[in-house]
Amino acid sequence: MNRRDILKFGAISAAAATVTLTGCTTSPKPDDSVKPAVGMGSKAPLPAAKGPRVVIVGGGWSGLSVAKYTKKFAPNADVVLVEQRTQFHSCPISNLYLVGAVDLEFITHDYLQAARENKYTYFNASAIGIDKAQKIVKTTNGDIDYDYLVLAPGIDYDYSPWNVDLATEQRLRTEYPAGFMSPSEHMTIKSKLEDFEGGNFIITVPGGNYRCLPAPYERACLIADYFKKNEIEGKVLILDANPDITIKSEGFHSAYDEMYKDYVEYVPNAAIMSVDLENKKVIAGELEDEFEFSDAAFYPHVRGGKLLEVCGVAKDNAFNKMEGNIDPFTYEVIGEKNIFVAGDARPMGYSKSGNTSNSEGHYLGKLLAERITKNKDIPWKSPLTVCYSAVSAMPNHAISVRAEYEFKGKTLAGFTNVELSQEWRGKIGENNGKALMEWAKGMYRDMFNA
Amino acid sequence: MQRREFFKVVAGVGAVIVAPSLITTDLRADDGRLYKTYNKVQLVDAKGNPILASKLLEEENYIFNYPYVGVSSFLIALPEKTETDVTLKSESGEEYIWKGGIGKKGNIVAYSSICSHQMTHVHKNESFISYQKKGQKTMACKQTGVMVCGSHLSAYDANKGCKVISGPAPQPLASIVLEHHDDDTLWAVGVLGSDKFHEFFKAFKSELKEQYGGARKAKKKVKETAQVVTLAEFTKDIIQY
Repeated sequence: MNRRDILKFGAISAAAATVTLTGCTTSPKPDDSVKPAVGMGSKAPLPAAKGPRVVIVGGGWSGLSVAKYTKKFAPNADVVLVEQRTQFHSCPISNLYLVGAVDLEFITHDYLQAARENKYTYFNASAIGIDKAQKIVKTTNGDIDYDYLVLAPGIDYDYSPWNVDLATEQRLRTEYPAGFMSPSEHMTIKSKLEDFEGGNFIITVPGGNYRCLPAPYERACLIADYFKKNEIEGKVLILDANPDITIKSEGFHSAYDEMYKDYVEYVPNAAIMSVDLENKKVIAGELEDEFEFSDAAFYPHVRGGKLLEVCGVAKDNAFNKMEGNIDPFTYEVIGEKNIFVAGDARPMGYSKSGNTSNSEGHYLGKLLAERITKNKDIPWKSPLTVCYSAVSAMPNHAISVRAEYEFKGKTLAGFTNVELSQEWRGKIGENNGKALMEWAKGMYRDMFNA
Repeated sequence: MQRREFFKVVAGVGAVIVAPSLITTDLRADDGRLYKTYNKVQLVDAKGNPILASKLLEEENYIFNYPYVGVSSFLIALPEKTETDVTLKSESGEEYIWKGGIGKKGNIVAYSSICSHQMTHVHKNESFISYQKKGQKTMACKQTGVMVCGSHLSAYDANKGCKVISGPAPQPLASIVLEHHDDDTLWAVGVLGSDKFHEFFKAFKSELKEQYGGARKAKKKVKETAQVVTLAEFTKDIIQY
């Protein structure tokens, strides 16, 4: 089966999962003896663990990495990755997908392959809660006992600062998605661009520590590039809640000013105050400026994945709401032995990005393995942020940053060992563009052995 | 003939001392492979003439395929004598000792080009991994005169058996063991350190098919001679950070 067939099969299996989850069956005589799995104390259909069981909830960049490296360094551990999706879709590189520079296949990967190659179990279900006392993860396909639990649910969107009612919020999620959580959002935005005939396309940049600091700015570049190459009389309005571009500022500003002068308008200090979807207007900034739009990708504030709140391990922090209440060095939930929170749901002010989560997952996997095998922890190691951002596509020209993190005591002091490459012109920019693709391929190899 | 006489493999207890020429199969520490002999091959130029150690340009990235047809490796004359008896550690924790460079100056080294992080390697179309000269700045670390993989910014110290300096690489590059004969010729005889050959052949099937006509051809062991060319001759694009 090639990957295209896997993509097709994924859709079928997703539909099958939907049938299963609704309780419907194709049997002409439903078996009344089968009890519903959800909330009834039914065991998940998993074989008995042969070693310490590590349950990882969330199959994103973090969860996949933790699963792989826990199993690698603690081969006797019974590692179970709980993930509700049937296919992995990469948020990194998705901006290139939006403008047709890569196809969907490039950013789509196979959870089963990851599980086979790395010898852990992929359990396709949604986690709906935990019982800390009994050490049980409750899922839509039964309860799973754990000895170690890693919660890596990623982010959720937080529209509350925009003061919109629930009906408007639902419309924003459906009609103007942010594009940083689900592949459906990416497909929607891509479709918007393909149908765009002109006018303003608004991109918002939230405050706080949002997923992938440079991504909205990269997206603006690529959409402007798309308009330019396709001779679309459009303009990208970047309404940034921050006082300036939050990272790689020089590179992005120069790209806007030199490559996309007629296609990009950057507006700092433009936090969204209100949204009028009927009249396609937003009010932004303290001066309450009004901006009209033909179409948009509205990116709200982010918060920790909802599951953390449900599990009682979430806490508001200086950046965002409801992220993990954890020790910053071990990722262990405060007061809860052997429950961890990792990935973009962490509260530390690290870049919420693929490389950060991957490298962090390497560390946490080794830490778990050390606990399992030797009942001790390993020294803390900073995650590594390596981030390439495209400023144009086909050919790709990009800028990049490399950074690690340092603490003063238990307080994050900021970036350290920072290296920036903000030259998108000429050979340097072209090399960065090539490195962007090589970076992605390497990361996919790591997680999926693909 | 000058050769690093023995390779020490430091396991949990004591040290194992072996002469590579006496070993015909894998030497293992725990379950890992730390030294393996392959066909002894002479390094030659494009015309089939022997490469002479004294003729190597310092800090030039030379490439030869070894120990398999599909595995590209670096040959480098460093600007100074390397360190000697460097203790290195594989990802799984096994220690071994890299004896140092060969040649009259003790500055000639060879390494597999397969990055130990995610197997970025020298390819005919482009190379993201290479030795960067003394004084040439790199984003990967402050030190210069190092091996750098530009994909994820791992840096290795070529003067110390490609010990990891910074970045995500979990272990050194595998070292290609060389012999320097009295007639100034160079021979490759084995591989020291944890290599990534199995994973490489699995992950890059389609690329190997494109470049070598199939994975089986790429997996053939190099025999008799290995042709040495500069990196610029081997690949279309050298990408350095």
